[in-house]
Amino acid sequence: MRKSRVVLIKGKGVLSDNQINIKILSVMLRKGLSLLGQVNNFHEALIQFFTPRDKVGIKINTIAGKKLSTKPQVSLALANLLNQVGIKERNIIIWDRTNKELKGAGYRLNYNGSGIRIFGTDTRGINYEYNLTIHRNIGSRFSKIQSKLINKSISLAILKDHGIAGITGVMKNYFGAIHNPNKYHDTNCDPYIAELSEVGLIKNKNKLSILDGLIVQYHRGPSYHSQWAEKCECFILSTDPVASDFIGWQLIEKIRKKKGLPTLEEEKRKPYYLFTAEKMGLGKANLNEIQLIEYEV
Amino acid sequence: MSKISRRDFLKTIGGAGLIASTVPSTFLTDLYAFSTSANLSQVEAWFYKKLPDKEIKCELCPRYCKLGDKERGYCGVRENKNGIYYTLVYGKVCAAHIDPIEKKPFFHFLPGTPAFSIATAGCNVNCKFCQNWQISQVRPEQVENVDLPPRDVVRYCLKYRCPTIAYTYTEPVIFYEYVYDTSVEASKKRIRNVVVTGAHINPEPMEKLTKVVDAIKIDFKAFSEDFYQKYVRGELEPVLEAARIVKKSGKWMEIVYLVIPTLNDSPEEIRKMCKWVIKDIGPDVPVHFSRFHPMYLIKNLPPTPVSTLERARNIALEEGINYVYIGNVPGHMAESTYCPNCKNIVIKRFAYQILQKNLKRGKCKFCGQPIPGVWS
Repeated sequence: MRKSRVVLIKGKGVLSDNQINIKILSVMLRKGLSLLGQVNNFHEALIQFFTPRDKVGIKINTIAGKKLSTKPQVSLALANLLNQVGIKERNIIIWDRTNKELKGAGYRLNYNGSGIRIFGTDTRGINYEYNLTIHRNIGSRFSKIQSKLINKSISLAILKDHGIAGITGVMKNYFGAIHNPNKYHDTNCDPYIAELSEVGLIKNKNKLSILDGLIVQYHRGPSYHSQWAEKCECFILSTDPVASDFIGWQLIEKIRKKKGLPTLEEEKRKPYYLFTAEKMGLGKANLNEIQLIEYEV
Repeated sequence: MSKISRRDFLKTIGGAGLIASTVPSTFLTDLYAFSTSANLSQVEAWFYKKLPDKEIKCELCPRYCKLGDKERGYCGVRENKNGIYYTLVYGKVCAAHIDPIEKKPFFHFLPGTPAFSIATAGCNVNCKFCQNWQISQVRPEQVENVDLPPRDVVRYCLKYRCPTIAYTYTEPVIFYEYVYDTSVEASKKRIRNVVVTGAHINPEPMEKLTKVVDAIKIDFKAFSEDFYQKYVRGELEPVLEAARIVKKSGKWMEIVYLVIPTLNDSPEEIRKMCKWVIKDIGPDVPVHFSRFHPMYLIKNLPPTPVSTLERARNIALEEGINYVYIGNVPGHMAESTYCPNCKNIVIKRFAYQILQKNLKRGKCKFCGQPIPGVWS
């Protein structure tokens, strides 16, 4: 069976005094994508997943405020790469649940203006679908951004410890695409995260998963706590969302061990949903099934 | 976030049968005159514990949500902001109607009177058969809210001559502080307060609530933990404990059991529930067996056959429950109240209408048997 490829790309100096070094960031994304696609450059990699006619959503993660959200420089750098392969700026949407959270994370909203569009589901005229999408244990209204405005999506999530789910990454990021994520936090969010990932609107549209590990909240997440936030200066890229979250989990466990913290399993919050997702055929949650490429720029 | 327009909202609620024919036309005009609320409330919640590192533990309901900064509970309407837990829906009403009290249903509480009925968004369970999911299974930002502080609720009650306020439609447990304060305010004007709840609540808040409200209707979603876990995402035992607390408080209580074909309609389960009612809360607590209609996440089952409801009623009567009703079947004989002594009709009903009242000072007009309830 073919292994899932995951790229862990590190960029020393990409974060300095909490400021992003755009040059290093750009090299990280370009190199990361080309390693993922096993091609010469990011362009060749991106055209494996996208065409110039696509409308692409970049689902970011802005719930935890400015200090622990997808930084505008990161999502805009990715959007620019998409633009460089021919996708029109207007057809790229950087989005999350609410405009308030986007603004809180430092984004300048752009719904109707020229350029890359940035707005939340709560934008007037957008909102959630009126009808429920029902799938296994999921019964939710989807953001119309995910259901109507885009045909392909990228989950660009922050890697964080999560008090219930164990970790939150590219899969759980899509909780922000439905109206009732609060209803799916029982039993370590298992099987809900996996089942949501199996819904066609996500499974069929998500072409790329990128975990932002510039700063990793390795304990007491998903809220920001500076004392448990580690500068890791990395991204984890894959086309397999389960595998990228699995590698993200390993990274969190590694930091926790270094800091003398118990494992997530010992804290009864091992991310079981990853194994459920694997059983459902959504991806790989097993190191033997993952081809991990580590690279430092 | 997705907001339901007023038109959609009325359509939705109308579809669920929540607009009573008794609503004065001026009431809706008045309702729309309330200021629409763009912001959510920020009133500190009750029943929570502060934990280190700005975390909190909610102690209102048996979920005991443990939340970090900026996180919300399962109910979606309580949020930890910087280590302080807030209710976001205090005075933020997403549904307000004047209903017959029979619609709640209360059959032994001021029959034939209107109840000023209000709700906020949210719920602390997720019943797969919820009839009002459009307002219960959403966050408050996703519906249109109007500002209706307790004093305004009371003012409108007086204006529209409603002797009762009903906290209903969604789950009053999650707007607890608002229910409590409004009840206190209403009591000053001799307005009664009734709560329509799934009673998934902890004992301490339940005890406190019984001190300020006049009646509580509790929904039993089934009588098995397995069902509660699978179809409600809650637990049965806390609900039973809440019912015992209401009984102990002496406040009026009625029970509703929504009978869902194949899921909670077995004679054994119904009998078990009836035996519990007799033993723990007594034979005079009215029990309503309501008809299920396919809704929300359970659309693959048919409406409950009337014969199933009649079978449930017969079991309850056999077990010795004195007042057993069938709900959501307009015109059924079991909508009426029968004297357990002489078997005559004490209150004759058709749907939510009272056709005949043979009750004198709380007693059967024919034989003088006291009929328990709140009649005046």
